[in-house]
Amino acid sequence: MCVSLSLCLVRWSRYNPYYLDPDPSKDARVPESELSPEEKELQELKTVSPIKAALSSDTSSAFNDPLISKFINMMMQDGNKILARGIMTQTLETIKRKQVEKYHKSPAAKREEIECNPYTVFHQALENCKPIIGLASVQKGGKSYQVPVPLTDNRRRFLAMKWLITECRDNKHRRTHMYEKLSQELLAAFANEGNVVKRKHDLHKMAEANRAYAHYRWW
Amino acid sequence: MLVFFLFCFLYKSRLSLQYDHEKISERHTGQYYTLPAAHIQKLFPHGLPPRFQLQIKTFNEGCVMVRPPALELISYLKKADYSKPPLRYILYGDVGTGKTMCLSHALHYCYTQGWLIVHISDAHLWVKNCKELLPSSSRPSRFDQPIQASQWLKNFKITNERFLSKVQLGYVWTKRERTEKGQPLGELVDQGVNRMKSSSDVVGAVLRELRLQAGGATEGEGAFKLAVAVDGLNALWGKTSLKKEDRTMCEPEELTLIHNVRKMMKNNWSGGAILTALSQTGSLFKPQSAYLPSELLGEEGFDNMEPFVPVSVSNYNEKEFESCYLYYLDRNWLQHSHSRSEEGKKELIFLSNKNPSILERLCAFL
Repeated sequence: MCVSLSLCLVRWSRYNPYYLDPDPSKDARVPESELSPEEKELQELKTVSPIKAALSSDTSSAFNDPLISKFINMMMQDGNKILARGIMTQTLETIKRKQVEKYHKSPAAKREEIECNPYTVFHQALENCKPIIGLASVQKGGKSYQVPVPLTDNRRRFLAMKWLITECRDNKHRRTHMYEKLSQELLAAFANEGNVVKRKHDLHKMAEANRAYAHYRWW
Repeated sequence: MLVFFLFCFLYKSRLSLQYDHEKISERHTGQYYTLPAAHIQKLFPHGLPPRFQLQIKTFNEGCVMVRPPALELISYLKKADYSKPPLRYILYGDVGTGKTMCLSHALHYCYTQGWLIVHISDAHLWVKNCKELLPSSSRPSRFDQPIQASQWLKNFKITNERFLSKVQLGYVWTKRERTEKGQPLGELVDQGVNRMKSSSDVVGAVLRELRLQAGGATEGEGAFKLAVAVDGLNALWGKTSLKKEDRTMCEPEELTLIHNVRKMMKNNWSGGAILTALSQTGSLFKPQSAYLPSELLGEEGFDNMEPFVPVSVSNYNEKEFESCYLYYLDRNWLQHSHSRSEEGKKELIFLSNKNPSILERLCAFL
């Protein structure tokens, strides 16, 4: 199945800043009466300003999850989105199988504690992997110091995903499949264990240790 | 509300439907019945589709949906005359519609009625990816597959343990080993399992003995009915991907195992039934759109199998889809909040076209 032939490349790579992002979900259209004045202004803007072309990976279905799409994009190598998406679906399936098996084998009292939804497991695991504070290299007086620095939301999400993927690619046994490695790491992160959460804690400890250099930051 | 009542009805009937094949009738189409764990271990050491085996492990139970093709097959089995040559049934249908599952259901019926089961779970595994291809010890132009043959004998032993001591052999002769008259079948099978080199010949001998004895004794301890089940029947008359030592392609007739199974498919014996299913997914050199018997079996296969009773297997109808959906909900399998809504269900119908295997793969990650 040759992907490049069937895709028509409509989306530009650089857009003028006044172009708005497309919102493919079915709830995008809300009747006028339910909007506050600011939202009405936004709606006016949408009718007038141009909108970027939608990505072919976005769907209007409610099964579409932007976080999962972002993770798939980060896992993708050489543009092989089909393989990356396949790995993601297999990961979700493996997580669900492990949890549902545990659910069916446990007594009725413990069943409520077991989280079977792979999407909530994924979101929670990612939250547990996100660092709160990061380090930036600042040069002062010929020497560079590691300065603790606040991180934006996007940067935190990026770091969490990057750590998960590199951990699974590098530090696991060669012969296991990626989806197995990912599911193990995600379930561990969900329980606040595992190497990725350890790496986050290490970063926090380094930032705490370098507290003295905090005022080297000027932004 | 209607969905709630339907759910309760289906749930209760799922619990109460044990494997009592006397009671299962057309009223129960769409409902699930539970395969007892002991039966699964004995009857299907190798027979079930891999995804279904995963499902059994996850849900801690093996539930099969009762569907019209399987019921049709079982009704034919109930009404057939076993003093006449066996009827050949071929399950055919598009990819993923449930042919192997229907075959397994009918085979379970045979097992509960006390038949002797000869089950070849996937004939395609015998015509491709065989690591060892030895020239046959008994005939010069044949090739043996010791690993596949001994694996099959092990599974045969697990399934038919109670018959191994009861069935007495006539004078069986393979080139090197002879078994005297009156010895139980179990010894021959053990010989085949232990000595890998002669296992393909042992398979042939076992099949021949069962053919001769199936219709033999009408009463008393020696009587048994023989169920021959082959999945992936089109492998027997297709092409192989195996090469001989001089790098020419191997024909299926030159393989001992395939030759013996082909002899089994002829209706020159009595006292049993031949249940088969076609399969495009494992087949070699066949287009993906081919699913009819004439397309998959080819001319030679079709002529050999004629006359046969064709049983068509198709996608789920609305009632069956509903039942499958409710089963997944009950087993806590559909986790995504949107999949539990009405719109989500419509999306699932649209995406899967009510094809059982595609629906299963979709619901796996939702």
